[in-house]
Amino acid sequence: MARRRQAGRSAVLLKIRAPRDFWGGLALIALAAIAYWATRDLGGMQGVAFGPGTAPRIFAGLLAVIGVVVAVTGLLTDGPDIEGFALRGPAYVLAAIVAFAVMMQGMLFVPPFGLVASSFLAFMISIAGSREMRWVESLIAAAAMTLFCVVLFSWILKLPFPLWPSFI
Amino acid sequence: MFDLFQNLALGFSIAAQPANIGFCLLGALVGTLVGVLPGIGTVATVAMLLPITFGLAPVGALIMLAGIYYGAQYGGSTTSILVNIPGEATSVVTCLDGHQMARQGRAGAALATAAIASFVAGCFATVLVAALGEPLTKIALWFGPSEYFSLMVLGLIFAVVLAHGSVLKAIAMILAGLLLSMIGSDIETGAGRMTFDFAELSDGIGFANVAMGVFGFAEIIRNLEVSKESRDIVQAKIKGLMPTRQDLKDSAGAIARGTVIGSILGILPGGGAVVSSFAAYTVEKRFSKHPERFGKGAIEGVAAPEAANNAAAQTSFIPLLTLGIPPNAVMALMVGAMTIHGIVPGPQVMTKQPELFWGMIASMWLGNLMLVVINLPLVGVWVSLLRVPYRLLFPSIIVFCCIGIYSINNSASDVLIAAAFGLFGYWLVKHDFEPAPLVLAFVLGPLMEENLRRAMLIARGDPSVFVTRPISAGLLFVAAVMLALAMLPLIRKRRDEVFVE
Repeated sequence: MARRRQAGRSAVLLKIRAPRDFWGGLALIALAAIAYWATRDLGGMQGVAFGPGTAPRIFAGLLAVIGVVVAVTGLLTDGPDIEGFALRGPAYVLAAIVAFAVMMQGMLFVPPFGLVASSFLAFMISIAGSREMRWVESLIAAAAMTLFCVVLFSWILKLPFPLWPSFI
Repeated sequence: MFDLFQNLALGFSIAAQPANIGFCLLGALVGTLVGVLPGIGTVATVAMLLPITFGLAPVGALIMLAGIYYGAQYGGSTTSILVNIPGEATSVVTCLDGHQMARQGRAGAALATAAIASFVAGCFATVLVAALGEPLTKIALWFGPSEYFSLMVLGLIFAVVLAHGSVLKAIAMILAGLLLSMIGSDIETGAGRMTFDFAELSDGIGFANVAMGVFGFAEIIRNLEVSKESRDIVQAKIKGLMPTRQDLKDSAGAIARGTVIGSILGILPGGGAVVSSFAAYTVEKRFSKHPERFGKGAIEGVAAPEAANNAAAQTSFIPLLTLGIPPNAVMALMVGAMTIHGIVPGPQVMTKQPELFWGMIASMWLGNLMLVVINLPLVGVWVSLLRVPYRLLFPSIIVFCCIGIYSINNSASDVLIAAAFGLFGYWLVKHDFEPAPLVLAFVLGPLMEENLRRAMLIARGDPSVFVTRPISAGLLFVAAVMLALAMLPLIRKRRDEVFVE
């Protein structure tokens, strides 16, 4: 598998032999660079005392060094391919979480919807991410979970959540 | 010695209060539940329940959270034995022999052995926590900033050595965790650091958001990739819960060895329940007179890892309670729980709040007793829970996590940050980076930086202070040796083998 891939890309100057290491290492370097850039305005050593920027820059520097080593390892040793990223799962899970956050607090053009609607919708969006979703069962489960959350968080724990939309 | 009994008596008088018994039982039940259900980890659960403990008394809150942690070690074995899917990462090795025993019609004996092993280990570890608490607290008084810094370096190196996969990548995760922990206001000057002018980041990223993201959301995304799970539950009625005399004789040695291994690995920072169960299984197999029986239903293969993971879960409270250093991610969440209630973990907890310290220790023993009852006679109830399909479980977890995070600060941006960390965690797994060292470093980061800065200031900017003070030098030396050993090719190979097994 690895050999075939190499043969296919023999024109490339340096072959990426362990893509997980190579791209992982590059990402580490990028992370270190961002951190270093973000601390550019912070004071460094003041005499013998650390400034606010000293420690982050030390750690960012070390991270960059390790990032380079990891990336180079990816060029010199063989490793497994990166598993394909699924799109469906992350997309629905993310959509559910974002929907909850936006509806709960009210953001952009969305008014606050309250706990009941936010939980119910977040449940329905995330369950749609599963390939085995069944409508009736999902609606019942979503209603049950919403009821459970209202009982637990609002009634038993008395957290000050608005339950219903503010605009009704 | 007399002090110890007096202290334990105080502890039991606290733990036996009806409310605290209730919290202990609740923690044990929730722990067993998440232990039994695959796909819900202990870290995510404790993070989810953190906000719920706001309104409770500190003793009750900590007793409940502790119960969840060691309760999950009991519950995890049930799923491993009956379904051959580990309910908890700590029960992975229990699948090997436990499920084989179940196939041979000895599910009852396997479940009972696991529970008995956990109970024996739990009792021993409780005594150990009680006995080591006081001397270690005294040692902590000698610690200055440089010693604390070196100790945390040692803890992080342990996390690196015990993580699987590449040592370098684990170190990279530590550094990334440290950097992330520095987002927000600087402790001394108050300057905003790496906030990118987001007001939401000026107080730093909450620990619960990171933990829930990389352990909760990322795990769900990962689980959704596996198209359809096959749960092959052993259908036959479980009978003969009591192990035979021969079973007890066979497993006694394994339980003792597992308990010792687990207790030691639990105390070490960076170690913990997962590694200790692997280590105990490997030791049993290597020193057995009949290693060929392992994987085919050897009772030692159930007893040793189950004893080890429960012992480790409990002794990991020792560094937290005595030195204020969380040795793993769950303990890091306990730090969060203690801070919410205004308790700074460290040596002063024992002297200033003895009822909290000893009450928690005594509750661990009570909790272990309850868990034997919860797990053995009620095993049928838990098995029926396994029939709830994951497609209904994971949306519930998502909703619960969202509400949990939102309730901490009533802030939607916290929920969004956790979602971002969920994607980040998914990316990490795809590139063979382990999230556990990152989370540990994230928690230790502020403490580490503070002590580093103080030590440097006291030493007038001379970094040699870390190697000239004897305790600090000793700690760093151990850290260096551990790291060197982990990098050696021979040991590395052996280490990989252990994880493959």
